[in-house]
Amino acid sequence: MDVPGHLVSGFAAALTPANVLMAFVGSLLGTFVGVLPGLGPTAAIAILFPLTSVLGPVPAIIMLSGIYYGAMYGGSTTAILLNIPGEVASVPTCLDGYPMAQQGRGGVALGIAAIGSFVAGTFGVVVLTFFAPLLADQALRFGPPEYFGLMMLAFTVVVSLSGSSLARGLAMAMVGYLLSLIGLGLATGEARFTFGFEPLMSGVDLIPLVVGLFAIAEVFLGLEEARVTIAGKITNVFPRWADLKQALPAILRGTGIGFFLGLLPGCAPGVTVFLAYDVEKKLAREPERFGRGAIEGVAAPEAANNATSSAGFIPLLALGIPASAPLAILLGGLMVYGLQPGPLLFQKNPEFVWTIIASLYVGNVILLILNLPLVGMWVWLTRVPFGILGPVILLLSFVGAYSVRNSMFDVAVSLVFGFLGYFLRKYQWPLAPLLLAYILGPLLENNLIQSLSMSGGSPLIFVTRGLSLALIVVALILLVTSLALVRYTTRRVRETTADEMAL
Amino acid sequence: MDGRIVGAIIALLGVLAVREGRRLYVLRETLVAGAVVGDDTFPMIVGGALLVLGAYLMLAAPPPAARVELPAGLTRNRMLVGAAVLIAYWLMVPWLGYTAGTAIISVLLYRGLGGYRWPAAVLLGAVTTGVLHLFFRVWLLQPLPTGVFGA
Repeated sequence: MDVPGHLVSGFAAALTPANVLMAFVGSLLGTFVGVLPGLGPTAAIAILFPLTSVLGPVPAIIMLSGIYYGAMYGGSTTAILLNIPGEVASVPTCLDGYPMAQQGRGGVALGIAAIGSFVAGTFGVVVLTFFAPLLADQALRFGPPEYFGLMMLAFTVVVSLSGSSLARGLAMAMVGYLLSLIGLGLATGEARFTFGFEPLMSGVDLIPLVVGLFAIAEVFLGLEEARVTIAGKITNVFPRWADLKQALPAILRGTGIGFFLGLLPGCAPGVTVFLAYDVEKKLAREPERFGRGAIEGVAAPEAANNATSSAGFIPLLALGIPASAPLAILLGGLMVYGLQPGPLLFQKNPEFVWTIIASLYVGNVILLILNLPLVGMWVWLTRVPFGILGPVILLLSFVGAYSVRNSMFDVAVSLVFGFLGYFLRKYQWPLAPLLLAYILGPLLENNLIQSLSMSGGSPLIFVTRGLSLALIVVALILLVTSLALVRYTTRRVRETTADEMAL
Repeated sequence: MDGRIVGAIIALLGVLAVREGRRLYVLRETLVAGAVVGDDTFPMIVGGALLVLGAYLMLAAPPPAARVELPAGLTRNRMLVGAAVLIAYWLMVPWLGYTAGTAIISVLLYRGLGGYRWPAAVLLGAVTTGVLHLFFRVWLLQPLPTGVFGA
């Protein structure tokens, strides 16, 4: 079946009432958590991930995708109205979104953010529809050495997720690999790193780890932050024609920058949003307007953010490489359901892939519908005190960690990683590389062992096969590119917030 | 957490990984004749990398630009109470059951973490417990611990 045929069958499945409901609930919950001050997409997926564990694979991934998109948009609400970016990708939106809100144009900024997100998100999904299958068509040429090359390519993402210190990012990644080794060995089934402690035999599960590092730790970090209540009321979120005319070129440029850079496995939204913002400022006739409420300063980074998020689905689905922390959790979600994203996913589970792709179109429309008319509700939610949110998140985290394997040991794991995650984040040790390495660890090990078994132990197998060599060379090129982009972004984040944030 | 302290911990994890790799290597040599790689290969690689990175972080890495301040006063107390309540929750649920345990813990969290007065904390805790019970037990039919009260 060709792409249009697959897409039609995907829409037939995605538009069933149950799946539309999941996309709706996911978008709603994602936006709900995303608008809560200080909570970004990673925390949103971490908190809500366990709730999807009772669903089947297709509705669960549809819901998780909705949560991801919703939280991405929700982040812009707090950036514009409260000047609080949930994640680094929302920092540039604060620069002009908050001044617009102070000038009484918060509604217009939110409207432009929603429209920009919709345009960019939909563009990203359209390209995903046609480009990802082409990439995945290479499936039959992939053996263990090529998969190992892919894992090397994925490892370049660690660089972009490391923030200001590559050594810290690499160290956290190695700790992630170490955690992935706990349990039974892949080759012989021999227990590793269990030290005779039986609950460790089945390893450290993904959900308690994610819940601990990103949800429980978030609550403790949130306790330290001062919360600001928004003044004023948002009345109209529909921009005027003049606003749209002014913002449209910025939306299109932001979409282009966000999407095409987002295709690179090492390029997270945190990188592209700053590039999009800086390009707009450079192209502007009056650059001095930026930082004082320029509508292009909201439109471009919001479009870039969503375009990069959509583009991230291409390496995720076609190659199994997540470009950011939330996508890494999404990858983990796919693996929980026994699905292995990568070249073979399109061949082995076409119904699944095309239903998910179709649901991304549906999710974008739902988000636009949700965001424009319901903005008043989202604004109201930003006023919910943390004294209520914190306990609710902790109680949800507890049951989420327990319900995966009905295990109190998993709850203990989530608590340990929650406390550890707080201190690591407090002291600027990036957690996303740990998560990425933990998820990709078993794949990397499996392909490494299979490749070395094929070659009788010679690592030359990775450079004597064309595709494997090409992947490793691309990984090296991306490594250098990512390093340059990360330096640029870290400098810009420091200039903007006088702080350090993980990308 | 000073970079040197974490560096030392990371190096120790490296030692642990290498030791475990060594144990698995001996096991492979004994059990699987002729295999050039096995369950020991990746732990050895990861262990080596952890040792190198740990040593670098301990001895050569520059300290982070920003100074980190730990919370103090009321915030620190709330965090400590929150952590203690969570541990109590973990200990309590297998014995009291999910619903009864959640009822007590939610009140303590609203009081200790949220800073609400007792009547408000009890009200919020009751509502939260009711909603969570309905959602997880009644709607999603999650097999949560029942404890001595059977709920």
